[in-house]
Amino acid sequence: MTDANPTSTDRDAQTDTERGAHSETTSSGVFSRLPDWVGRYRIPIGLVLFVLLLRPVVALPFLLGFESVATTILIIVLFVAAFNLLFGYTGLLSFGHAMFFGFGMYGAAIAMSGHGPAPELGFLVGAVVGVALAAFVGYTLGRLTVGKGEIYFAFLTLAAAEAVYFIANRDPFGITGGSNGISGGAQPGWIESFRGELTVTLIPWPDALVDVFGWLDDWYLLVGLVFLLAMGALWQVVRSPFGRSLIAIRENENLARAMGIDTARYKVWAFTISGAFSALAGALMAINNHGASQEWLSVFTSGDTVLMAVLGGVHYFFGAVAGVFVWEFTADYLTDFAVLDLGFIAVDISRELSHWQFLLGAVFVVIVLVSPNDGIWGYVRAYAARGWARIEEVLR
Amino acid sequence: MTDHDATARTGDADATAETAPEPTRGEPHARDDREDDQPDPVVEPQAAALATTDIRRTFGEVVAVDDISIAVEPGELRAVIGPNGAGKTTLFNTIMGSLPATAGSVHLDGEDVTDRDEHERPHMGLARSFQSNELMADQSVLENVRVFVQTADRGAFSFDLFRDHRDVGRERALDLLDTVGLDADPEALAKNLSHGDQRRLGIAMALATDPEVLLLDEPTSGMSPGATRATADLVQQVQSELDLTVVLIEHDMDVVLSISDRITVLDRGSVIATGPPESIRENDAVQSAYLGGMREEL
Amino acid sequence: MSTSSITNRSRELLADVSPAWFALALALVVATVAGFAHQPGLFVTQAVGGLVYGAILVLITLGLSLILGLMGVVNFAHGALFMLGAYLSYSVVVAWGLPFWTALLVAPILVGVVGVLIEVTVLRRLYGSEPIVGLLATFGLTMMLDEAIRYHWGTTPLGYAKPEVLRQSVDLGITQVASFRLFMVAVATLVVAAVYVLISRTDFGLTVRAGVQDGEMTEFVGVNLPVRFTAMFFLGSAIAALAGVLQAAEYGVNSQMGQTFLILAFVVVVVGGVGSLFGSVVAGILIGEANYLAPVILAGLAEYTGIAALNISGIRGLVPYLVMLFILLVRPRGLFGEEGLLE
Repeated sequence: MTDANPTSTDRDAQTDTERGAHSETTSSGVFSRLPDWVGRYRIPIGLVLFVLLLRPVVALPFLLGFESVATTILIIVLFVAAFNLLFGYTGLLSFGHAMFFGFGMYGAAIAMSGHGPAPELGFLVGAVVGVALAAFVGYTLGRLTVGKGEIYFAFLTLAAAEAVYFIANRDPFGITGGSNGISGGAQPGWIESFRGELTVTLIPWPDALVDVFGWLDDWYLLVGLVFLLAMGALWQVVRSPFGRSLIAIRENENLARAMGIDTARYKVWAFTISGAFSALAGALMAINNHGASQEWLSVFTSGDTVLMAVLGGVHYFFGAVAGVFVWEFTADYLTDFAVLDLGFIAVDISRELSHWQFLLGAVFVVIVLVSPNDGIWGYVRAYAARGWARIEEVLR
Repeated sequence: MTDHDATARTGDADATAETAPEPTRGEPHARDDREDDQPDPVVEPQAAALATTDIRRTFGEVVAVDDISIAVEPGELRAVIGPNGAGKTTLFNTIMGSLPATAGSVHLDGEDVTDRDEHERPHMGLARSFQSNELMADQSVLENVRVFVQTADRGAFSFDLFRDHRDVGRERALDLLDTVGLDADPEALAKNLSHGDQRRLGIAMALATDPEVLLLDEPTSGMSPGATRATADLVQQVQSELDLTVVLIEHDMDVVLSISDRITVLDRGSVIATGPPESIRENDAVQSAYLGGMREEL
Repeated sequence: MSTSSITNRSRELLADVSPAWFALALALVVATVAGFAHQPGLFVTQAVGGLVYGAILVLITLGLSLILGLMGVVNFAHGALFMLGAYLSYSVVVAWGLPFWTALLVAPILVGVVGVLIEVTVLRRLYGSEPIVGLLATFGLTMMLDEAIRYHWGTTPLGYAKPEVLRQSVDLGITQVASFRLFMVAVATLVVAAVYVLISRTDFGLTVRAGVQDGEMTEFVGVNLPVRFTAMFFLGSAIAALAGVLQAAEYGVNSQMGQTFLILAFVVVVVGGVGSLFGSVVAGILIGEANYLAPVILAGLAEYTGIAALNISGIRGLVPYLVMLFILLVRPRGLFGEEGLLE
């Protein structure tokens, strides 16, 4: 959406009378020589590639070095993308998205474990209830707050999430487990856990076929499948006429309203959809983390979400991917990186580096000052576009 | 605004500066043989395409629009003129519902729309362009128009979730860009258009809502004389082609005198005269209140 | 913000009063009386506690509201500045061994300087852009400040002894009140009065307000606006730090306090109405009192009505949000907010 299109840069200099002379140069972007469907479906294609490549890439020793974080990354990407439907595509900044994630997470965990007075209902029921609750709260809160301006909206979502956190902390009727969260027995029957590794036992392979298809019993693959479906749905929302109305609201709300768009209603539904998909991510996380914990409900989760989305680039669908990746990478890499060896002198900076959030905060501030919508993905795109243009020039 | 003449002269000076150098002035068309030099409304609100009845808008103590009643006939091209601060844009905003009216009513095609939400009015045939270039700067020129074609087509809200936006309204948007002369590079970003092209884009966006009554707020402001002429022609062209009723705020008197059927003169929130161009030129009240320093120029 | 507009506004408020409102107010009064009659000593102690809590809320919100109302910037880092003031007072008293009174002066000045640095390096670039961008930028700064505080002071809660003079209790007849709490209320009252005079009665306040209305014109008549905005930021940050010092001396410090009080300050702003300093003061006290009195009142009601379920344990922390929800439903612009601001 930002200018990666070199043909449209000189327009400012043109006078009205010279308008006609401009007609020859149409946009000949990077993808012009590829078939049309590649351009049209490049985001789903990219998502599939992402799911396929993520695990081997994060397992590389010089990156994160272990595979299991890949599943967590997928789930958080889905959460950030759901958040970004609201912030990046509708222009509404929610500082309370942890509550939606928490509805999904607690809903699934409570139903799986039959915690407190709750009956054991299984993962699916819990996830559905959690998602429905998130949608309901999103809709109601949206109706109450959406018309009051974006600053108000940020305040009110923050306060609502804090109230939800507070209630979970109070452990009403012993159902949320208070500050301990929910841990015991929060696992569906079709998941087996062995030394922290999760295996899916949904399909009873005959013994003869286990060797052939056994690799399919992979928690990562199941999450990957749900991830692709959910992200595909979000992508469809964004590219649909509905999604373009959201973008019109983000770009210029006064104009959108004057041209006949019911901005309040679109915002409420964007909030609802965003909340529901956040809860879906939370439900997945309940299995992945063997239960629900309070920190996921806290204001820090909401804040981290904002941070990841902006770091990645809120105006891009892949911004969520970039943001989560940078976040996880910084967290793990800098925490492990203990000694700065400059050859002649080695300094132990592990204590400084354990406060890596300071560094990310600084990067975040710089991004907000320079170009709050582009983030890392925006820069990568701009560089890539420039590189392509160079290569095309040379080939010519 | 105690020294009113001074204000009028300042406004006049601005207008001259923006249109300088003076283009060759043709004789204003004597395009109307109606001799109706009578105050608005000349038609009953029910028969008018757009009518305001004693509409009023105050900001605290300030009365920006002071009981204005106008009635625009179907197919008419009405110019609204007046010195800076006369309340022209506020009048538009109250008609469109961007600012709720403090009192009075707005009728569209005989129907009372005073209590309708702002976003409902475009679907009843009322559209506007803005004085400042209101557009979606980071979107393509095409998308700026297409999304409102889609809005006109699907209504103020629609769960249109299962299609690709590129398959909705694209042809009509391209047609509209062609109409206003912006078809050269529909994929260019709106922010990279020249000022004049952005104003034309504003007209295309307003047309996207498929209006019957079109309000244009200074469509030629900041344009060169040539572009001003072209835009005036464009307004006339779309009016006749699409059979529109047009209300036009304009400071360029050449444009006003040449294309409008009737002129309404506002001063300090009130209508001081309404009539065909010739009669407005000769109207004493207008001359003393508004045209003061412009008489020799005419 | 003059007195006449305040009376006007209260008259406006009173004009809205309907029978339903009257009944509600009456019910509240009856409930309060029940709470008092049930446990008079506890009631007064809690009322004073609520006043103290309210005073801290008012001080924090004052700075936030000042910067928001006058400059249109939501300073998310305000809570972190409050926390920084609290931690600095700990350092002044414990690490540097200086008396508490120095902390009362040093911490606000140092935090004020941090506020100025923030304004000059970050926020100044954002005047005129959308308010949400300022919110985002100060959110990033919050993260940096939080982390810096964790780096320097660690995450364990800390505390220090109050000065000798303020350690006594004052006898109120039915209960005893720590004199430091009264001191907190007195300081808050003084600061609110000083800010009110500064904004509404001095040239400085006048020029800042004019600059908000029409920056270009105000600069044209020779007012150096950037310097004045920076000064406002110093003031807002310093008041937050002062609140932090008071809070630290009475209740100690922890690394969550910034975030907790920031959210409460937002709630106070929403309840009081964006853009109204007077509203912030009223809402701050209101929420402070509601927070402390709700359990006593509910206990009293449970006692007299015989419905034990009314005595909800742990309702306290939820009270601010309930008040906010109520205000949002019945008077969306807040108690004293101007309609349309920030929309």
